[in-house]
Amino acid sequence: MAGGDFDAAESGNSRKKQPKWKKGKKVGVRIDMTPMVDVIMLLLTFFMLTTTLAMPQVMQINLPKGDQEDKVKVDMGNVLYVRVSEKGNIYFSQGISNGTEGAPENVSFANMKSKLEQLYAANNNLLILLKFDRKMKYTTMVDVLDEINKAKIEKRYSFMKMEDIDREIVKRAEG
Amino acid sequence: MGKSRSIKKPGVKIDMTPLVDVIMLLLTFFMLTATFKAEMSENIEVKLPKSLNVDTTKLPEKDVMTLTLTKAGDIYVDVDNFKVRKEVFGDEFGIGVYHPDSTGKSEVETTQKIGGKDVKRKVIVLNREKFEKTLGDLRVALKNMTQNKSDYKIVLKGDKDVDFGVVEDLMQSLKDTRNTRFSLVTDIDAGEPGKK
Repeated sequence: MAGGDFDAAESGNSRKKQPKWKKGKKVGVRIDMTPMVDVIMLLLTFFMLTTTLAMPQVMQINLPKGDQEDKVKVDMGNVLYVRVSEKGNIYFSQGISNGTEGAPENVSFANMKSKLEQLYAANNNLLILLKFDRKMKYTTMVDVLDEINKAKIEKRYSFMKMEDIDREIVKRAEG
Repeated sequence: MGKSRSIKKPGVKIDMTPLVDVIMLLLTFFMLTATFKAEMSENIEVKLPKSLNVDTTKLPEKDVMTLTLTKAGDIYVDVDNFKVRKEVFGDEFGIGVYHPDSTGKSEVETTQKIGGKDVKRKVIVLNREKFEKTLGDLRVALKNMTQNKSDYKIVLKGDKDVDFGVVEDLMQSLKDTRNTRFSLVTDIDAGEPGKK
């Protein structure tokens, strides 16, 4: 009795959409995709977590071989000393042809590129001698090399040991 | 009929096909681009400095000799060929460590850790002389193994905060051993100007 009532109510309730629904859905088998999605999701997370994206890039450095024939005499007028202090302050001083060098000039990191380009425009044979303080951070060195690479100049630079005299110059410039 | 439908009724059916499509695409992408980290051969973590490189050179994929400079000022020398490691370090997962500052000891000697992490690999402590010899030995070992076909490319992975002094010492060693060509590994700079 009650069941019959229930049936009637049920069929009455779903009558509106059921015929249409049936017709449209008839064709094709329903595949439950949930397990597949589960597995694929697992695989996806696995690969996402194990991949290392964005391969790091490299900066090529060439050191001189140090042979006798490698040694070149350069005109001091073409030399630009770039000294970087312990704190990472950058000082440019230009060499003068008589063997001495000009007064150190503090160059901010932001202006370094334009300054280099300007100096290169004035003298195409510019040779940059880098003198980094031993207590300076490695990242500063990469930044400085990067700025030199970025400036549209012929990349001619070499590393030199920072001697006491250089430290003295930097100290005086720092005041 | 009527009964079975009344059981199925509750719950909304979601069509998962588009979702599956997208996930499949993502999956294929990650599968194809995946390069796996070998757990044993890459456990020294350093924070790389950033650079915006004009000539976009990528890290070579094989025959790499990695010199890792950690914050503590140690230099770890490692190669990607385990046969070479076996021959030179006497262990397939050997790694050499050299502390250029002769007044102290390397982190791995004092704390048995590298960068605060436990070491799973066999560490061989080298002094300057041995370090320079090892650089040559590794090269020779690879050359012998491949009948002179391949040679190591040296890459320098330095921590951002390592003192330049360590780099300077290393460059001196490289120069002395006639390894005058090497590369610095950097992260790609996102490109904000005026960073320091």
